[in-house]
Amino acid sequence: MAEQEDDKWGIAHVHASYNNTVMTVTDLTGAETIAKSSGGTAVKQNRDEASPYAAMQMVESLADEIRAAGIEGLHVRVRGPGGNLQKSPGPGAQAAIRALAREDFEIGRIEDVTPIPHDGSRAPKGKGGF
Amino acid sequence: MRVAVTGTPGTGKTTATDRLRERVDASQYDALDADEVDVVHLNDVVQDEELYDDVDEARDSVVVDLDALAAWVDEYVAASDASVVVLDSHLAHHLDVDRVVVLRCHPETLEARLADRGEPAAKAAENAESEALDVVLGETVDAHGTESVYEIATTDQAPDEVADAIAAVIAGEREPSAGTVDYIEYL
Ligand SMILES: Nc1ncnc2c1ncn2[C@@H]1O[C@H](COP(=O)(O)OP(=O)(O)O)[C@@H](O)[C@H]1O
Ligand SMILES: [Mg+2]
Repeated sequence: MAEQEDDKWGIAHVHASYNNTVMTVTDLTGAETIAKSSGGTAVKQNRDEASPYAAMQMVESLADEIRAAGIEGLHVRVRGPGGNLQKSPGPGAQAAIRALAREDFEIGRIEDVTPIPHDGSRAPKGKGGF
Repeated sequence: MRVAVTGTPGTGKTTATDRLRERVDASQYDALDADEVDVVHLNDVVQDEELYDDVDEARDSVVVDLDALAAWVDEYVAASDASVVVLDSHLAHHLDVDRVVVLRCHPETLEARLADRGEPAAKAAENAESEALDVVLGETVDAHGTESVYEIATTDQAPDEVADAIAAVIAGEREPSAGTVDYIEYL
């Protein structure tokens, strides 16, 4: 990615919890929020349906705002159960990425930044699906 | 029967299972006999028995050897006279167990509890974020399904009430549950 094109790129932060998904889009520094789907407006997901429809709606509600800010490409940071894309795709996270691609955003690096519960000890990475 | 009591650090597992021990010993529960119940705090076991094979320096945490921990638990259960072994640990859901209690706590409250317990801010924050994202619950349901999982919201409950809820799970007086709280707005 050339330096002069930096402003065309943003970061989509996908937070995927057990039965909800919210997304925030920021600039590349992460400091400036361009668009945010709040917990209130994000569609509640039925985990069993893996709800691609809900993720699609969430992305649709943000797409115009993101485009209006001149963003054409998005790096994706996934946080939450199923954030490990090699293993178990979480409810919402994968669907959100596909929905972004369908809205014609270029998808850059996809990173799993799921937090790790720890208390002097922690599970090995990849254990439990994350 | 093996009962895991798991949950993000700070949800109150050790406090509640200590109370459970005391209340069982005081014959608080008709269904639970004092010598029928064992409570094991696995965080202590991991350190005392050195059941780890790596260190996560950034988190000041050992990376647990889950096979070694499982083997230790098997041996412990085989040697125990109790018919119910309660396993307290944020890793207990990674073990082979019959029922899993998942303690939950609002992330803001959890962060404050950990700060009060004297934990570094970064540790309190990452655990609060884990709780907001249901990380432990998600892992638990992935490993065990929903039929043997019992979610207990502790934010507004006193330790004794949490102990009573765990006792109800052991006694078969509580229905399984998962996904009953939504803390995502904390993020
Ligand atoms: N039900 C509760 N209400 C209020 N504070 C609690 C409760 N349970 C535990 N605490 C406090 O929160 C902190 C974390 O509790 P602890 O039992 O150590 O959690 P865990 O074992 O899950 O990491 C402790 O300082 C404890 O005194
Ligand atoms: Mg503890």
